[in-house]
Amino acid sequence: MEIAGSVETAGQEAQPAVLSVPSGRNPLSASLRLDFERVALTGRTVLAASRQDPPLKVVRAFEVDDGAALVHLHNVSGGLLGGDRLELVVNVGGGAQVQITTTGATRVYRPRAEALAVLQSNEIAVAENGLLEYLPDAVIPFAGARFAQRTLIRLATGAGLFWWEILAPGREARGESFQYESVELKTDLMAAGRLVAAERVRLEPKRRSLASPGRLGAYRTWGTFYVCRVGMEPTEWLAIENELRGVLALLRRREDALWGISSLSAHGLIVRCAAKRGRDVLSGLQEVWRAAKWRLYGRASVMPRKAN
Amino acid sequence: MDFERHRCGMDSELVELRLLHLADSALPIGGLAHSFGLESLVAAELLSVRELPEYLRSFLEEAGLLEAVFCRAGHRLANGMKLEEFARDWLALNERLSAMKPARESRAGSGSLGRNFLSALSGLGDFAVVGEALRISKASHELIHYSLAFGVGSGALAFDEDRAVLAFLHSCAASLVSACQRLLPLGQNAATRILWELKPTIVETMRRSGERTVDDASCFMPLLDWGTMEHPSLTTRLFIS
Repeated sequence: MEIAGSVETAGQEAQPAVLSVPSGRNPLSASLRLDFERVALTGRTVLAASRQDPPLKVVRAFEVDDGAALVHLHNVSGGLLGGDRLELVVNVGGGAQVQITTTGATRVYRPRAEALAVLQSNEIAVAENGLLEYLPDAVIPFAGARFAQRTLIRLATGAGLFWWEILAPGREARGESFQYESVELKTDLMAAGRLVAAERVRLEPKRRSLASPGRLGAYRTWGTFYVCRVGMEPTEWLAIENELRGVLALLRRREDALWGISSLSAHGLIVRCAAKRGRDVLSGLQEVWRAAKWRLYGRASVMPRKAN
Repeated sequence: MDFERHRCGMDSELVELRLLHLADSALPIGGLAHSFGLESLVAAELLSVRELPEYLRSFLEEAGLLEAVFCRAGHRLANGMKLEEFARDWLALNERLSAMKPARESRAGSGSLGRNFLSALSGLGDFAVVGEALRISKASHELIHYSLAFGVGSGALAFDEDRAVLAFLHSCAASLVSACQRLLPLGQNAATRILWELKPTIVETMRRSGERTVDDASCFMPLLDWGTMEHPSLTTRLFIS
């Protein structure tokens, strides 16, 4: 989570990678906890409680037109340094609707040689009939970066989820692609007590080429999007999968990217993207999100504002 | 009660022969009907004969490693496990592997091969753990994944764990090469050579699988994911997946 820069603009800084790390900062251990509740009287969602350890911060929750609460995740230190241990805990109460986004790409800096990998852990719970839309910018691992992320998402009966993640190859505008040491992603998605998605990704581009035709081939940016609503029947998910294939087919014609979709083993579906240009992933995910939100909730998706 | 392993009276030559038989990619359990995404990759011109050796190496290093870890888990489950613990762990392992397979057709294909494999095995002898695995999965409507089925069957037949994993990986690689012969201009000699040259990677993958657990076994094959997800959209299909 970082303040400035998109996937493309983040790489346009003048200074070399190793000097772009904020100087004089020691590894951090910090936690951000956000508890959202639905106010019965108004039907609106509010940020009922929060605990914020610097450098993790949200300024406040903004009201969204459909009654949801929107927060922007900030890392006011500018990015992630070797040895950082950051924790995000989000609880979405019963019937509450929450949008979470970032203010820019998450930069993972080159660590000192002796530093441990950055560890970002996310623990997410969505109570009955709640809805969480997690719509961040990309993660950009700089040359030499070591990044590990652990995510556990628990969805109760009737809970909904739109959750995407984008992994950039590095600072592409500097010509820096797949120069990081390692990226490890571990995601468990539980729906009504059942494990419906388990992602285990371990990327070490210097040991195993990501350009292999089985891995990314000619593509560079990778995106994953989970769409869930707990309790819907498998036949309904199959129908939604087929409907959204039409959206993906249009994206494929327009962009140099591969888009795939499949029902999960229960309660949702997954969309995968591999693209040659990072910006195509984010714009494509937004289109899929729009279509999926309309299909599942019968209302338009509201793009999170990045600035007032 | 503990499951009794089926080792009585089996000499090592017989064990080897049985392992060869069960790991033959031509075993009639439906393996030849699945391309597991290859068909879409070829149709989209993302995979050609030239790229095939590298593709298959990556497949073994990623998807092969994942399946090998679960094959080991199945093998260990078949040995010395109490009945009630077996049921719980068998279902949990299959649920976990389903969750790790993002594409619907790939999950279903693996489930079909696994069920067919255990059914075939149960027709060859009285293997308590095999019958129990079939019964539990049927009652709970849970898929039986092929790697877990092969592992449980191998454990029940007292095959050495490492050799069983090797044979399983070789069988998977042989099935994919066979699928490629039907999808690409790949002749018999070239196919034989590709499979021959994959053997060091198969051995390395078997060894790496012994260092991982089912919780940290990773797999990163976005193009394969795309291929398996896209397969239902193909207008003409030679394979089920």
